[in-house]
Amino acid sequence: MSLDDPDGELVRRVGEGDALAVEALVARKLPRMTALAHRLLGDRSEAEDVVQELFLRVWKSAATWRPGAARFDTWMHRVAYNLCTDRLRKRREVALPETWDAPDPQPLVDAAISAEQQSDAVGRALAALAPRQREAIVLTYYQELPNRDAAALMGIGVDALESLLARGRRALKARLEEGDD
Amino acid sequence: MTEPMDFARFETLVAAYGATPARWPEEDRAAAEAFARTDPRAADLLSQADTIDALLFAHRVAEPSRTLRAMVLESAPKRRRIVTRVRLWWGALALALTAAGGVLAGSAAAAALDPVTANVQLYPHDDVPSPDVPEENAL
Repeated sequence: MSLDDPDGELVRRVGEGDALAVEALVARKLPRMTALAHRLLGDRSEAEDVVQELFLRVWKSAATWRPGAARFDTWMHRVAYNLCTDRLRKRREVALPETWDAPDPQPLVDAAISAEQQSDAVGRALAALAPRQREAIVLTYYQELPNRDAAALMGIGVDALESLLARGRRALKARLEEGDD
Repeated sequence: MTEPMDFARFETLVAAYGATPARWPEEDRAAAEAFARTDPRAADLLSQADTIDALLFAHRVAEPSRTLRAMVLESAPKRRRIVTRVRLWWGALALALTAAGGVLAGSAAAAALDPVTANVQLYPHDDVPSPDVPEENAL
C-alpha cells in the first residue's frame, strides 16, 4: 500500500545528500520531535539526546527510504517513541526511595498566574500521570497523530487508547485541582 | 470503527478527545456534531471537556536550542559537497587534458602539413655552424 506522504519528496532529496533538503527537514521536524521527547521524558537534556539519536537514524534511513505503508513522520514518531520508552524503562529499573512520591502540582486555575507558571504546573501534572496515559495524551493532543496511528504506536487498539485518554484527562484535571486546595 | 452516535458514544468521544470537533475521529465527527446540536445534554459535557482542553494546551515546551539544531545539522551526511568537489576535480582534469591534447594535435598537424618547416622548427640550427665548435675548413 502506498501513501501520499507529504515528506516523501523531501526525504528522497535528503537521501541524495541535498544540503538544502537536510536543512528543510530539520526545520520541519526538529521542533516537533523535540517537543515529543521533552513531554514523554519530562527532561530537556534527555530529550535532546534522543533527538540527536533519532536524526542519526533519519540520515541512515533516508537514502533507502521507500514510500510504503507508513508515512515518514509516523516512522519518526515510532523511532522517537521507542527511544523514549527505552529510557523510561531504564529509569524505572532504578529503585526509587520508599518515600518517593510524584511532585505536587502547583495551583493552576488562577487568572493572576503567568502563562509560564501555568505551563509549568501542567507539565508537572503531565509528568505525574501514569506513563501510558501520558503517552496517549502526548501523541494525540500535542503531536496530533490520528487515533489509529497513536494506538498502533503504543501497540494497543483504538478503544484502549480512548480509555487511556479519558482516564488521563480526568487524572490531570484532578491533580491540578488538588493543587488549588 | 463507526459506532451509532448516542449519548454513551458521544460521552466517550468527548471524554477521550475533548471538546474540539477537529480532534474527534473523522468517521465519528459528522454524527457527533449533529448529536451536539440536537441533544441538550451535550453542552454540559462539552463545557467540562473544554476546561480540560484549556489546561492541556497551557503546556508549552521550549523551542530546540540553536546548539541542538547545529549538532543535528552537523551530523547529516555531506555527500552533495563531496560529489560537487569530485565533479570539480574531474572538470579541471578534463580541461587540462583537453588543452594538452590540443597542443599535441596542433603540433602534429603542423608537422604533417609542412615537413620542411617542421624540420626547420624541429632542428632550427642544423644548417648554421655552431659558434662554439670551430669549423675544420676555417683552419
